[in-house]
Amino acid sequence: MKLPKNILFLIIASSLMIMVNSCKKEEPVDEQEKQKIILSFGFLVDGQDLQTDTMIYTNEAGNHYLINEIQFFISDVTLHNSNGSTYLIDEWKDIHYVETDIPTTWTWDVFDNIPTGNYNSISFTFGINEEKNQTLMFVNPPESFMFWPINLGGGYHYMKLNGKWLDKNQQISPFDFHLGIGQIYYSYPDSITGFVQNYFNVELPNSAFSLGKNQTKEIKIIMNIENWFKSPNIYNHDDWGGDIMQNQEAMFLACENGHDVFTVRFIY
Amino acid sequence: MIKYRNIIFIISFGLLLFSCKKDDPESIPYQPIPYNIEIPFGFPTNLNIPADNPMTVEGIELGRYLFYDGRMSGRTHPDSLMSCATCHIQANSFECGIDHPEYIGGFTHGITGKPTPHVMLPMINLVWNSSGYLWNGFIYSENPDDQYRNIEDLVWMGIVAEHEMNSDTNLAKEVIQNIPGYPELFKKAFGSETVTVKNMSRAIAQFIRTFISANSKFDKYLRGELQLSQSELNGFVLFTTEEGADCFHCHGGYGNPLFTTHLYYNNGKDSLFTGPYEDTRDRYHITGDPMDYGAYKATTLRNIELTGPYMHDGRFATLNDVIDFYSHHLVWSPYINPLMHHINNGGVQLTPNEKANLKAFIQTLRDNEFLTNPDFGPPDKFPDGK
Repeated sequence: MKLPKNILFLIIASSLMIMVNSCKKEEPVDEQEKQKIILSFGFLVDGQDLQTDTMIYTNEAGNHYLINEIQFFISDVTLHNSNGSTYLIDEWKDIHYVETDIPTTWTWDVFDNIPTGNYNSISFTFGINEEKNQTLMFVNPPESFMFWPINLGGGYHYMKLNGKWLDKNQQISPFDFHLGIGQIYYSYPDSITGFVQNYFNVELPNSAFSLGKNQTKEIKIIMNIENWFKSPNIYNHDDWGGDIMQNQEAMFLACENGHDVFTVRFIY
Repeated sequence: MIKYRNIIFIISFGLLLFSCKKDDPESIPYQPIPYNIEIPFGFPTNLNIPADNPMTVEGIELGRYLFYDGRMSGRTHPDSLMSCATCHIQANSFECGIDHPEYIGGFTHGITGKPTPHVMLPMINLVWNSSGYLWNGFIYSENPDDQYRNIEDLVWMGIVAEHEMNSDTNLAKEVIQNIPGYPELFKKAFGSETVTVKNMSRAIAQFIRTFISANSKFDKYLRGELQLSQSELNGFVLFTTEEGADCFHCHGGYGNPLFTTHLYYNNGKDSLFTGPYEDTRDRYHITGDPMDYGAYKATTLRNIELTGPYMHDGRFATLNDVIDFYSHHLVWSPYINPLMHHINNGGVQLTPNEKANLKAFIQTLRDNEFLTNPDFGPPDKFPDGK
C-alpha cells in the first residue's frame, strides 16, 4: 500500500510541527521582561528603631524589658492580584530567615520574575507550614540552629525572640519568647499526646502596589515588636515566665498577637 | 627487521630515561589528587575550606607527618621535640586528657613550662566551624589582620607561642627542609620542594579538617542501627527540652548534629568581669560589645567525656561537676546570655536521677571509631624512615 504524496507530505509536515513545538516548550521565558521585588525587613519598638540590649521598653502589661536578638522565618509570601489571581513566591525554595544580628538576612532579593499587574495586598506565613517544616531540611547555619526538638514536634522554631525583663521580684530575668509547634500533654511535661501547628497567616495592611514591565519594587516589612505583647492579649512575662516552648497556652496567645505585628513601611 | 630493532631500542631507552627520572625530586609531577569530604547524615554541607588551600590527598598525607613530627618545633634534640600531637591526642578527641602524665589535670603548658592561657578545645569537626576558632573566636575569616583567619594560622602561632612550641618559624622550616623525604612530599602537595611555613600550615590544616566524628552511639541510633537504653533516651529528652536540662539551644541535637553552634555565650560562671577579674581573652575583647563580657565558645559535646577539664579555664574536672553547675550553681550578671533563663533559680534543678540520665545521654556522643581511626593516628615512620 502506497500513501499518496500529498498525504505523506502532510504527515511529515505535521511531525515536524510537533517536534518544533515540543522543543519550544523547553525554551525559557522571555528574559527581556523582568519584574522583581525585593523584600527588606526592619524592627521597631513603639515606632522607633530597635535598640538591642538596653532596658528602655515597657510593654502593655507594664513589664520593663529589653530585646537581645530576634530570629524568625517567613514563608509562602503571596501576592494578591486585583484580577483575583495570586502569585506564590518560589514555594519550597524561599523560606526566608531573618536575624537581627545578621544584616545580610534583612534583605530578600526575590529570585522570581514576578508577573506585571496591580496587586491588592501581600500575605505570608509566619513560621513554616507543617508540609514544609521538616527536621533536617536546613543543615547549614544559621537556619539549622533554629531546629525545634523532635520530641517537641520537630521542624524549626518559627521565631526566637530573646530578651530580659524586670520581674515582679525586681530581678532582671531572661525570657525566651520562642514560637513553634506546640504540644498537648497528657501529663506535663513527660507524656505528649499530640502537636499543634502554630504557624499563622499574616495579611499585610496597606500593601497594595503595581508592578509595570521591567520594574523592581522594594517592599520594607516591619516587625512592630511591642505588638507581640499587646493585642488582642496582654502578655505579661511575670505570668508566663522565661520559656514557653512547652507551654501551648502561652504560644497560642502569642500567635494570636502576631497577626498585627507586621506592617509595611514603604513600597518604592 | 632492523627497523623493529630500532623501535625497540628507542622505546627501551625512553623507558630507562623515565624510570631514572622517578627518583629525581625535580621531576615529580605536581598533580595532587583532590580530597572530597563525605558529608555525614544531617551535617552541614557548607565547609570552611579556604579557597587558597583546597584539600588534597597529598596535602593531608604531608599534614599527618608534620602533625606528629616533633621536629616541627625547629629542634632536633630528643628532649626538646614538640609537635601538635604532644598535646592533641587522638584518644582524647585531640585534647590532652585529664589524666595526662605531664599536663596534670589536663592543664597544658609550653615547652618552657609556661601555662597555656585557656584549656584546650576539642579538635574535631572543625571543617564545619565558620564562627571563629579559639575560646573567644579570635581567629575568624573576616579578621582585618589576615594573619589570624583560619586553622592555617593556628599552626604558625603554635610554633612561635611561648606557651606552646616557643620556637621560630625559620628554624622550623629549616629543620623540616633538611629531613630527607619531606621536600618530595612538599613538591607533591604544593608544587615546590622548598619548605615554607605557609605550606606547613596548609598541610596540617588539611589534615585537621579530616577529623570528622560522626559515628557515635547516638549517630547510630539516629540512623536506626541500634536502640538507646531507657536512661539514655530520658537523658535525650532532658537535653532537648526547656523544662529539662535545656542544653540544645547552644549545644545542638538532632537538628544540629555538630552538638555546638560554635557561638559564644556568657553561661553564668561568674559575676565580675572587669578590673582584677578581667579576662583579656573573653569574647568582649574581640567584639567590644559589653554583652560579650565573660562569653566563650560553646564546645561540641561529641566525645566530651574525654575532654576534661571543662570550661575555658578548666574549673570543672568532671562531667558530674558540669551537670551540677548547670543544675544548681549558675551566677547572675547583667551579661548573662538570655538563653540561660533558669538563672534566677540558680539552674535547671535536675534531680540525681535526671542528672544520671543526662550524663548517660551525653556519653552516647562518644565516637570510638573516630578515637581509634588509624587515618588520624601517627604514621608508622616519618619521611626519613625514622
